[in-house]
Amino acid sequence: MYLAYGLFVLGLLSAAEYWGWSFNSVSQRKDVPRSVRDNPGSYRSVYGGYPHYTGGK
Amino acid sequence: MSQPGANCPNCGAPVRFRWSSSVQTVCEYCQSILVRTDVDLRKVGTVADLPRDGSPVQIGTEGRYRHLSFVTIGRVIYEYDQGLWSEWHLAMSDGKNGWLSDAQFEYAVTFAAPRRQMPAAGAVNVNQRYEWDGVQYTVTTITDARYRGIQGELPFQTWDKEKARFIDLRSAAANCATLDYSDADPVLYLGEIVDGDALQLKNLRSFEGWPS
Amino acid sequence: MAVVSGDAPDRPAAPPKVQGLNCPKCGAALSVRSFDHAVSIVCGSCHSILDAKDPQLRILQQFEGKVHEVQPLIPLGRRGRWHGAAYELIGFQQRTIAVDGAHYSWHEYLLFNPFKGFRYLTQYDGHWNDSVTLRSVPDATRGVIGTVTHEGVTYRHFQTATAVTSFVLGEFPWEVRVGESARVSDYVAPPRVLSREATGNEATWSIGQYTSGRDVWAAFALPGSPPKAVGVYANQPSPYGRAGRVWRPFLKMAGALLVLMIVLSSLALKSQVFKHTYTFDTRRAQPDQPESSFVTEVFDLQGHTSNVELTTEASVSNNWIGVSYALINEDTGQAYDVGREVSYYSGRDQDGAWTEGSTRDVAVIPSVPPGRYYLRVEPDADPGPGTIRYTVILRRDVPSFLLYGLALLALAIPPGFATWRSMSFEQARWAESGGSAPDMGSDS
Repeated sequence: MYLAYGLFVLGLLSAAEYWGWSFNSVSQRKDVPRSVRDNPGSYRSVYGGYPHYTGGK
Repeated sequence: MSQPGANCPNCGAPVRFRWSSSVQTVCEYCQSILVRTDVDLRKVGTVADLPRDGSPVQIGTEGRYRHLSFVTIGRVIYEYDQGLWSEWHLAMSDGKNGWLSDAQFEYAVTFAAPRRQMPAAGAVNVNQRYEWDGVQYTVTTITDARYRGIQGELPFQTWDKEKARFIDLRSAAANCATLDYSDADPVLYLGEIVDGDALQLKNLRSFEGWPS
Repeated sequence: MAVVSGDAPDRPAAPPKVQGLNCPKCGAALSVRSFDHAVSIVCGSCHSILDAKDPQLRILQQFEGKVHEVQPLIPLGRRGRWHGAAYELIGFQQRTIAVDGAHYSWHEYLLFNPFKGFRYLTQYDGHWNDSVTLRSVPDATRGVIGTVTHEGVTYRHFQTATAVTSFVLGEFPWEVRVGESARVSDYVAPPRVLSREATGNEATWSIGQYTSGRDVWAAFALPGSPPKAVGVYANQPSPYGRAGRVWRPFLKMAGALLVLMIVLSSLALKSQVFKHTYTFDTRRAQPDQPESSFVTEVFDLQGHTSNVELTTEASVSNNWIGVSYALINEDTGQAYDVGREVSYYSGRDQDGAWTEGSTRDVAVIPSVPPGRYYLRVEPDADPGPGTIRYTVILRRDVPSFLLYGLALLALAIPPGFATWRSMSFEQARWAESGGSAPDMGSDS
């Protein structure tokens, strides 16, 4: 019984390591047009702001 | 092993000895106590009624001890301050004799051990230690008993005895020893305590309501 | 009458009978079941204890009206197949101890077989034990204080208390009195228990084995079902086995995990696919200024779908730089957005030197399919007088050691849970122990 469970855990681990799974989810989007290469500023990042507080005191 | 041809001097019935060196026996027909001399059998008395006891062993019970088989051919019943116990005289399958101690389903098999160092009767106390044949024994009890009944063949005479003193010893394992001071010449018995099941006893007494 | 051997012609041995007697006090019929072994007989009708060895059945004690009547679960005279032979229930007694002001009673059932002798069944709170008297005295000299050894097994002291006989029925091969007390000590090595019972100078040892009520019910063909076992009993065997045993398969799995880790992490590419250093001019920084964004050259992410490690190194000192990344697949248009920050501060205060943050930040983008990619980078910092140099490094297919740690934890869950359950069981067992310390002193 434990053998089956252990093999399952190791199998899951192998799959995770192989395909590079992770817990942190990264925002994805599709259909980014090629025009971004010419005009990087046109890319609207998912992050509207900054990862830290930017407002005034 | 058995000696043919002797007859009871009292009633003439045939007397059979199942062990060659038995000294005393009881005639099955007239209950006379007979002592064997070099020449013949002599009547020395009559057995009294045996006290009632619950032992499942009887004369003729067969059993096994180590690689030998045995049959009970005689019995002495002793009485002490806490009750009765029996010593069964055994004819072993190798021609020797032995003893089965029987006290409320606790059994021990012992054999006479001659030519061993033995302490004097008054010199022994409980918890003292002695060694025989490489085994350490500790004195557990000193018992003063009286003869309460006899049956069958015995290797000594009891008809003229009233009291006996026994000193029991135990080893750390299952070995046991008994110093028998009932005679002028004390006797040492060495043996071991045994489980009733290990003896594989057959031909036990029957009890009403209990299939054997 | 002397018992003769079977050889005698017309003198068949009379088998001993079950005696039919009457109580001298109330005349009720008494059954004696143990063929001259009985020392005490109890008249169930008038609760007198009689001397079985006396032909007149002298009355030794009367406990009528002084005690609570108790009904034995196995009726007197009932036979059952037990321990390889037929046994008859001939005696019953209730014994009571007082621990911390509370009274606990258990029941003892005396079983008899004329060829094999006596056995005892004890019952407490639905827990049963099958016991016999021990002829050898267990060794108390070896091992820890409070343990005894018998036949190579060590028994731990569980409880010592004074047991008072509070009710009797049937017959016994020894003297009984209601109200008599004995000092009882129990030593356990589940499923066995060694009990020492001492009255005055004499001590008797017995060995017991834990038994289920169902076995007793089946053996004696009793109606209904046995009383439910409450709690954990002194020598009740743990259903969870020995605690250490469950960790052996774990060690084997952990070994396999180690091997897997070595193999997988060496097979991982761990290849650096991009490294470039940039300079951000803080004099030109303004919030929400998209002009600072730029794109990198296109690079290949090879192999199978795997992760991408993104490292940002910046030479900040008491400053920070935030970088917003998008890893964009040139062909499919799939983008992965990651916003990171590198900040590092240091100084001195009354406690000494301190630092906060790091000049290096690492992030992992999971499950990126192979293909041609580029980065869109948008740095940001507080407006300032100088520049911040920062380096961006991308590595393809790196092992995640966090996952190995989690796998190890996951493997430890079943044995950990089993150990916890086993420990709780043992805790419940020993919670019931107590009473006095074991009586010291030599034994007969």
